[in-house]
Amino acid sequence: MDIGPIWRAMLRNKAGFILIALQIAVTLTILVNAFGIIQESTDKISTESGIDEANTFTLASVLFTDYEREQRKVLIDEDLDLIRNTPGVVNAVASNSFPLRQGGWSMSLALEPGNQTAESVNTAIYFVDEHGMETFDLGLVDGRNFLPEQVTWDDPDDNTWPAYAIITEELAKEIWPDETVSYVGKTVFISDDDPVNIVGVVDKMQAPWPNWDNVVERSMLVPQRRPSEFVRYIVRAEPGMRDQLMPEIEAALAASNKDRIIRDVRTMDHTRKLAYVGDAAMIKILGFVVLLLTLITALGIVGLTSFNVSRRTRQIGIRRALGATQPAIIRYFLIENSIVSAVGLVVGAALAIGLNIAMVEAFALEPLAWYVIPIGMLVLFIVGQFAVTGPARRASNISPAIATRSG
Amino acid sequence: MLVMKDVYKIYRTDTVETHALRGLSLTVEEGEFLSVTGPSGSGKTTFLNIAGLLEELTSGTYELDGRDISSLNDRERSRVRNEKIGFIFQSFNLIPELNVFDNVDVPLRYRGFDRAERHRRITECLERVGLASRTKHFPAQLSGGQQQRVAIARALAGEPRFLLADEPTGNLDTNMADSVLDLLAEINASGTTIIMVTHELTLADRARRNIFVRDGELHDGPPELHFATAASA
Repeated sequence: MDIGPIWRAMLRNKAGFILIALQIAVTLTILVNAFGIIQESTDKISTESGIDEANTFTLASVLFTDYEREQRKVLIDEDLDLIRNTPGVVNAVASNSFPLRQGGWSMSLALEPGNQTAESVNTAIYFVDEHGMETFDLGLVDGRNFLPEQVTWDDPDDNTWPAYAIITEELAKEIWPDETVSYVGKTVFISDDDPVNIVGVVDKMQAPWPNWDNVVERSMLVPQRRPSEFVRYIVRAEPGMRDQLMPEIEAALAASNKDRIIRDVRTMDHTRKLAYVGDAAMIKILGFVVLLLTLITALGIVGLTSFNVSRRTRQIGIRRALGATQPAIIRYFLIENSIVSAVGLVVGAALAIGLNIAMVEAFALEPLAWYVIPIGMLVLFIVGQFAVTGPARRASNISPAIATRSG
Repeated sequence: MLVMKDVYKIYRTDTVETHALRGLSLTVEEGEFLSVTGPSGSGKTTFLNIAGLLEELTSGTYELDGRDISSLNDRERSRVRNEKIGFIFQSFNLIPELNVFDNVDVPLRYRGFDRAERHRRITECLERVGLASRTKHFPAQLSGGQQQRVAIARALAGEPRFLLADEPTGNLDTNMADSVLDLLAEINASGTTIIMVTHELTLADRARRNIFVRDGELHDGPPELHFATAASA
């Protein structure tokens, strides 16, 4: 290998090589940390909500005429009957919210009655009837669904919370971390003093706020219906029927009662996009920055190598005259760039680790996966070698006869 | 042995055609010390480039050690240059970023010799040219004569059959030029064929055979005769 003399020759013209090595180091530092953020956001975006998103859509019914409370109850029952009896519908429920909606209720749960303490656990609240489990397609891991007689209408004269609940496994583990057998039958207190008996545990159902750090997996289903002017329906269709049912049910509901409007008819795919629009934008921006930075680094390498080829035209001709083949000339520049890249990448790896430690502490990010830095180094190395190839090929075409020209 | 027959070299651009060599035929025997003289633009350097495989000829035949050179590809030409031909240039053509040792090492690395063999040859050649103590010096730290000696060491390290010298003393003062010529004579005496291009008649006299090139054509005989003819023409 020619590393020795190439290295020694580079030491005689350090400035350009040091600048490029630094550029590579900075690029690697930013690249791997940006990649870490992108990866974390991508993981978050692709996290399952726990419901059958592919076949579910939502819509809202908004009354613009004053209806008595009992009239509103009747209207909700009629709407749900209409929706549930539409061919192609698996089930439907009226609820205050649903995963990814970015709006809903949350409450604190405690193991003892009385004021909430630091040990209280926050959870999202979904008000549903006995159709909620099937509509959301939740996986019951313990206990059972609500019985129809356990579902009540919200009573404005009685603020007591329903006595039953179905909770997610994550929430159960948070409340009873030492429990190993079953959470069913246990009691937890809500709104300070109201006891709630756990009748079922589901494997997964996210809270409506996807950015609710660390607690997004905590949800509680409560068997209560709320006859408000604004009602949100969640509809689960049979596979392949969703897009056909959306306009059909919207039109049917609109036709069944002229005192309200039907709006916000959305697929869960659309809701997911809205929920993660900020993360998706950040991924795009960071991706663009990383791409741009890598491109600038590659152009820097092209520039330095082109400059070196121009500066060393005669030297290359001399090497050719002394017996260097064209591949040997290309190899010379590739080795030279490998040395610069190696220095830059080692420095960059150290900087990347340092920056990641600082970012993890400052922004509570996940530490970089072990493979991110090696992959980043490999990518930048390959980019660098590709960047060098063009100027190196030009160098290899320099005629050896240049050695006999005066100058 | 070097044999050229009816060699033409024509440089073409879109509008101009320059005939640098016109039907040049020449045989150089093993162990000769040949000088090639001629006025500027006569085709001396073109001849040297063709002989040294630095350029391809336009037509004619060229055999080096019985091998037809005109049909070789770039890789094979590079190999022949590396193994059979040593070059000495007017402006020394050392690589400024490399020290003396590494400069002499350049053609040996292309040859693929192992480290020990390269080291042996470099040391031997630098001793032969009297620069064994300057291995760590860079070209800029040496005099012109010393740089040319390094170039000669580099040319000799591969133990070439042919040494092609292009105005080897053109950038040297008289004393240094003499010492370089003495060195070339010594190298020739040890069996290496030398072809030296020069425009200086006194240097040409040091060769055992002289040829004169004018307008791309070859003329045998003492250079003084041809220079006189050229001047009176």
